[in-house]
Amino acid sequence: MSQLRRLFIQRIGALAAAVAATAASATSALAFSARNPGRDADDRRYAGQKGKRWAMVIDLRKCVGCQACTAACKAENVIPESKFRTWVPEYELGRYPRVRKAFLPQLCNHCDKAACVSVCPTGATFKRDDGIVAVDSQICWGCGYCLNACPYDKRFFNPLTQAADKCTFCAHRIDQGLLPACVETCVGGARVFGDLNDPRSEVSRMLAEAPTSVMNPAAGTRPQIYYRGMAGELQAQPSGPPSLDDLARHRDGVPAREWMTKA
Amino acid sequence: MEPIQTVTTLASITPARPWGLDIPNYFWFTGSSAAAFIVSSFAHVFGLKKFKPIAGFSLLIAFTLLVAAPLNLIDDLRQPGRLINFFLYGWENFGTSPMKWGVLLLAAYPVLILAEALVLYRPFLVGRMEKAEGRLTRGFFRALTFGRSELSEASLEADERLGFTLGAVGIPLALSVHGYTGYILGVVHSNPLWHTPLMPILFLASAMVSGTGLLLVLLPLAQKFFTNRAAIDTDVMTALARLLGWSIIIDLVIRFFWLTFAVAFNGAERFRLIDFFGHHFEEIAWVEYGLCLLLPLAIAFSPLGRRLPWQFSIGLISAVGVWLFRWNTVIGGQTIGKTTSGLLAYHPHLIGAGSIGAVVANWLAFVAMLCVVLLVFPWDEEMDRHYGKGIEL
Repeated sequence: MSQLRRLFIQRIGALAAAVAATAASATSALAFSARNPGRDADDRRYAGQKGKRWAMVIDLRKCVGCQACTAACKAENVIPESKFRTWVPEYELGRYPRVRKAFLPQLCNHCDKAACVSVCPTGATFKRDDGIVAVDSQICWGCGYCLNACPYDKRFFNPLTQAADKCTFCAHRIDQGLLPACVETCVGGARVFGDLNDPRSEVSRMLAEAPTSVMNPAAGTRPQIYYRGMAGELQAQPSGPPSLDDLARHRDGVPAREWMTKA
Repeated sequence: MEPIQTVTTLASITPARPWGLDIPNYFWFTGSSAAAFIVSSFAHVFGLKKFKPIAGFSLLIAFTLLVAAPLNLIDDLRQPGRLINFFLYGWENFGTSPMKWGVLLLAAYPVLILAEALVLYRPFLVGRMEKAEGRLTRGFFRALTFGRSELSEASLEADERLGFTLGAVGIPLALSVHGYTGYILGVVHSNPLWHTPLMPILFLASAMVSGTGLLLVLLPLAQKFFTNRAAIDTDVMTALARLLGWSIIIDLVIRFFWLTFAVAFNGAERFRLIDFFGHHFEEIAWVEYGLCLLLPLAIAFSPLGRRLPWQFSIGLISAVGVWLFRWNTVIGGQTIGKTTSGLLAYHPHLIGAGSIGAVVANWLAFVAMLCVVLLVFPWDEEMDRHYGKGIEL
C-alpha cells in the first residue's frame, strides 16, 4: 500500500513537473520581444563576434567567371536547385565591335544600413555585432518584405525552410575561424574576406591601397562588398535587353516559370 | 543609348519575387473598405442627409471587406502557421516597417467598425431580439446589443452620440488602414516604381474610386433584390456617381504629379520607369486611364450619369480599373530588376498560394461573409425606415 502511494506521488510529481516545464517553455517562447528569442538569449550565433566587422573585397580583374564560388556555396550551405546565395553573372558590355566581357560575382552586401532588416516585421532578419546580416529561419513567417526591400535582389525563399534565405558570409564557418566557402574556393583569389576593424587585415589594406566601388551606392544602404575594377554601367540597375537564358527558354517553348525575364 | 553604356546579360539568374496576386487584391480590399467607411461617415459624422439611407449599408460593406482582406495576407505567407510571430517579435522595427503597423491597424479598425454598426443598429437588433422565438436566436441578438435593450429617447440619443464619436475616430483610422499599405510600398527605396511619398495618398485617392464603384454595383443589387421596397434609390445612386466622378478627378490629379515626377523629372530611377511604362504603355494608357478612369469620369458628369445602367457600369469598370492599378503597381513594380537588366514577366498560377484561384476564393469568402453580415444586421429595415415605408408588424 505504501509502495503504491509512493508510486502515485512520484507519478503525480512527474506530471506536475512536466506541466510546469511545458508552461515555462511556452511562456518563454510566447513572450513579447523587441527582437527575437535567439537574440534575447544572447546566443553566439545571433550575437556574432564582438569587435569584428566582416567585409569582402572582390578584385574583378582576377575573376575568370568559373563559378567555383557558386558551386562551393551551394554545396556548403545545401542550397536547393535553381536557388543561389551567390552567383557570377556574365555580361557583354558595349556594342559590336567595341565589346568586352565582364563578370560580376554577387552576394548579399551585408549592408551597414540594411533595408531588409529595418522592414522585417517579425525580427527574423537581424544584424549581428560583426556586421553579418542573418535570418532566423525558425522565426521568419515568409512575408517576403525583405525580398522586395533588398536593393540587390540577393534574397529568396528557400524551398527547404520556406523562409527568407540569403548569404550569411558562411557564419558557421567564420565562427570556427574558417573562411567563407566561396573565398576558400576562389581559384583566382578574386574574393578576399576579412575584418575591417583590423587595419592589418588584407581587406583593410586593399581598401586603403586602391580605389574600390560598391554596387548601387545611391540605395543608401552602405554595402560591405567592395569591388575593384567594376564597370560603371554595372554599378546600378543596368538597363538593356533581357537575359539571353530566358529568351532561349521562350524560343525553345519551355513552360514559363511564375517569374522570369520578359522575353 | 550610348553604345558604351549597353549591357547585354549573357548569363544570370532570375531574381526571386515574393508577392503574387494576393497583395494587389489585399490593397484593393482595404482601400475599398476605407472608402465605404468614408461614405458611411458622410451621414454619420458630417450629417449629409443624402447618404443617410445607405450609411448603415456601406458601413457593413466596409466591415466585411476588412474582415476578408487580411486572409489575402495569410495566404501570401510562406509560413502561415507562424502568424503569431508577427504579434510577438520584432517590435524594435515598428518605426521602420510599415507592415508592422498592420498589427495595430488591422486589429483596431474592424473592431471599431463592428462597434459602430452594433451601436447604430441597436434599436433594430433589440426589435429582432424581441421578435425572436428560439432561445438561441434571442440570446444571439441579446449578445449583439450587449444586453442594452432600452429604447428610450435618452438611450437613443446616447447611441447617436457614441456613433458620431466612433465614426469620427474611424475616419483617420480608415485612412490609416489603407494609407499604411501605400507606406508599405512607398518606403521600399530599392523599387523605382514604389519609392514615392505620394504612394499612400495615391492609394487613398484611387481607393475612393474603387470603394464608390463597388457601392454603385452592390447597392442597386441589394436594394432591388433584398429589400421589401424592392426599388433602387436613384437619388443616392446619382450622388454616388457624382462622388465617383470627383474621386476620379482627385485621383487623376495625384497621378499626374506622380507620373510627371517619376518619369520626367526623376533622377537615375527614371530610366527604369521609362522602360517600364514604355513596355506597358498600351494597357496602362488605354485600359487603366482611358477606359477605367476617363470614360467613367465623362459619363459620371454627363446626363448618362443619372441613369441606372450607366451608373452601375461606370461603378464596375472603375472598380476593376483600380484593381488593375494595384496589379500594375504591386506586380509591375516587382517586374523591375534591381541588379539585372530587362523586365521580368509574371505568370500567375491557377491554384496555390497567391494564385488566381486564391483570389477567386477570397472573393467568394467575401460574398459569403457579406451574406451572413447582411442577414444578421437589419440594414433593409433601416433603409425602409428612411424611405418612409416601414414594414407593418
